[in-house]
Amino acid sequence: MDEALKELLYKMADDLLIIGHRNSEWTGLGPILEEDIAFSSMAQDKIGQSQVIYQILNKLGESEPDIVAFTRNANQFHNCQFVELPIGEYDFSLMRQFLFDLAEWHRWDSLSGSSFEPIAQAAKKFRGEIRYHNMHAKSLIKVLGNATDESIQRLQKSLDESIPFALGIFELSPFEELLINENIFKGELKLKEKWQSSVSEILLETSLILPDLNEINPVQGGRTGQHTEHLQPLLDEMSEVLNVDPTAEW
Amino acid sequence: MSKDFLADEDPVKLQEFEDRIERGEKIEPVDWMPKLYRKQLIRMIEQHAHSEIIGSLPEGTWITRAPGFKRKLALMAKVQDEVGHAQLLYSAAETLGKSREQMIVDLINGKSKYSNIFNYPAYTWADSCFISWLVDAGAIVNQVANSRGSYGPYCRALERICVEEAFHLKYGHHCVIHMATGTDIQKKMMQEAINRWWKPMLMFFGPPDKISAHTETLMKWKVKMLSNDDTRQQFLGMYVPKIWELDLTIPDEKLRKNDDGKWEYTEPDWEEFKRVINGDGPCNAERLAVRRTAEERGRWVREALNRPKATYVTPLA
Amino acid sequence: MKLTDRSLDPRINRLQLSETDIIEKDQLDQLETYEVFIQTKEGRPLQHEGIVHAYDEEIAFVFAKEQFSRRATCVGMIIVRSDNVEASEMNDDGRNVYDLFQEPSVIENEKSTYEVFHLLKRGKQHIHAGSVQAGSSEEAFYEAKLNLDPGNPARPVLNIWLIKTDDIFSSDEEDVELWLTTPGKTFREAMDYKGADKIKKYKESKENG
Repeated sequence: MDEALKELLYKMADDLLIIGHRNSEWTGLGPILEEDIAFSSMAQDKIGQSQVIYQILNKLGESEPDIVAFTRNANQFHNCQFVELPIGEYDFSLMRQFLFDLAEWHRWDSLSGSSFEPIAQAAKKFRGEIRYHNMHAKSLIKVLGNATDESIQRLQKSLDESIPFALGIFELSPFEELLINENIFKGELKLKEKWQSSVSEILLETSLILPDLNEINPVQGGRTGQHTEHLQPLLDEMSEVLNVDPTAEW
Repeated sequence: MSKDFLADEDPVKLQEFEDRIERGEKIEPVDWMPKLYRKQLIRMIEQHAHSEIIGSLPEGTWITRAPGFKRKLALMAKVQDEVGHAQLLYSAAETLGKSREQMIVDLINGKSKYSNIFNYPAYTWADSCFISWLVDAGAIVNQVANSRGSYGPYCRALERICVEEAFHLKYGHHCVIHMATGTDIQKKMMQEAINRWWKPMLMFFGPPDKISAHTETLMKWKVKMLSNDDTRQQFLGMYVPKIWELDLTIPDEKLRKNDDGKWEYTEPDWEEFKRVINGDGPCNAERLAVRRTAEERGRWVREALNRPKATYVTPLA
Repeated sequence: MKLTDRSLDPRINRLQLSETDIIEKDQLDQLETYEVFIQTKEGRPLQHEGIVHAYDEEIAFVFAKEQFSRRATCVGMIIVRSDNVEASEMNDDGRNVYDLFQEPSVIENEKSTYEVFHLLKRGKQHIHAGSVQAGSSEEAFYEAKLNLDPGNPARPVLNIWLIKTDDIFSSDEEDVELWLTTPGKTFREAMDYKGADKIKKYKESKENG
């Protein structure tokens, strides 16, 4: 049971840490000041959420958040490959945020009734943040997905490139049944269904076309430590200062 | 002294304007104001805004490399604040009639200036700590003084900024304390950063002021609040003891406090200052290139965010 | 001065900076502006905070939430397009600006609701005073004079903003949860960075050799 729980928590925390880290790369470089500020807040939220989950893991016997987050190598991370991809241009980062946040909305929603008390509490605590992240993504995608030829083309291209990776969010865990039976989590399949439904619903209000998900091969492997060439450099960068002197208190 | 720059201003209105300022009341956007007042404020506020957005770059480079959750989150929040300050300051300048489009264009085309200290590179984590603590400390001296100025929108922006700067200052000091009292590697890194940044830091407050009718008028109108030398002295008085108490040295043999309370120091090389601020510094090209690239790459987003019936009006407050 | 090939900033290197010509911007490149008002606590009136540049009220709300309330306690926020704010004159001689308003010559039959905001001190910001029913802004100013003027000679109203209620985009009751975790984010507050103890320990450890 512990193993199943830890697997779930690690993948969630790793997703949040990595996407938060990626999105923090936009600080100071956003397309307009107000959006720059909003995007940075959401990146802080994601990293803060990952820290809370690592703290839950710590109580379950894992090392402290700073150690777990800043000293593991790529093959020890369980984030989906989607979140480690470079930020690209704003259309990609926005589309990634939109697709990822809808999954987060449903994931945390299903965890708010979890039999594992700490995660249920976290779900309640983060409700407002996730709500804001989705509010942001939805309003921007709806406007940009209808606005100009360029915005529609860019977002369509990003959507097409993202979908195979986004499907990797729902890569099945070896512990699906156990987690479902113990009422800890409703499982990736249910999550994917709800996510798909929400994504379609919103995209119908735009000029963007959601590809047929049945025709797409999901890009998987992240959950078992198989990553793209982007993750290790990301982790090296993240721990660069820490590694200058691992004995130091910074 | 000649006051030709006020020659074609309505003397009655000018008197009312000056009386209001002397009474300690704020000037608001709808009020009558002399051309020089408007022009000088636009320049000042705009430059301040540009300094914030450019200033986000040297520290911004360390966000992805910040050591540990606490530093990572704090640095993200700090740099975000700087972008936020730029937004607040551009908004204040907009009330005076210059559009944000024009201000940004003037920055990225090299027409407007920003604080020279950001033309230097943040080589190490310790450099970012120096900036977070001492450059922000310098900025706070100016900001606190200017928040008592006469123009309402600028004062309101500065009040907000000062509140957030309290966090920046404490965070920066916290980082430097850890470095200076930490391992040998940390101490060395911190000392080297101080050695690199001290001269630019002294120049941050600007060259000694030339006394002119201009300066006198601007001080009467509470546009300029303190002389450059005064702000420099304030900074030295507040922060040199704090640097020394951490056993960090400052690369200036002349630096000491006289019996009369005034700080002695080696006069900065104002020729170097002029060269750097006019484009010949280590990072000038990169800073502007980054802003240009960010603007150009974000253009499609802004175009898409333009409503067909959008209309711009000068902000009221 | 030439751009060097390698920046010290890894994310700037990833951007692959390009040399560009002089850049021009279209007139509305930075969009139009929206006024932001916040209610910090139940029972307190909405207060003006500033502006955001945005596409519409909904996006202005998304932007304003972080720009103006990422640290503030907040229970409600409203947004209105700057163009939809009608301002009175600014009083100039210590009198109440309401003294300038007289009974309107024409009364319209069809009424709208107007929200009224007062400025009580130069340097401060407009605060919500209440709402009136009126058929025109001229009527609305007069109705506000009759019903909302605090009539305190020591604190005259200096300036009035009128906004049609229909033009206002308001946060919902359920939006309160957006601000739930704000107080807990102490990593961005000065209070989380107390260095005095560490300095003290350092000095003590030096004394003890």
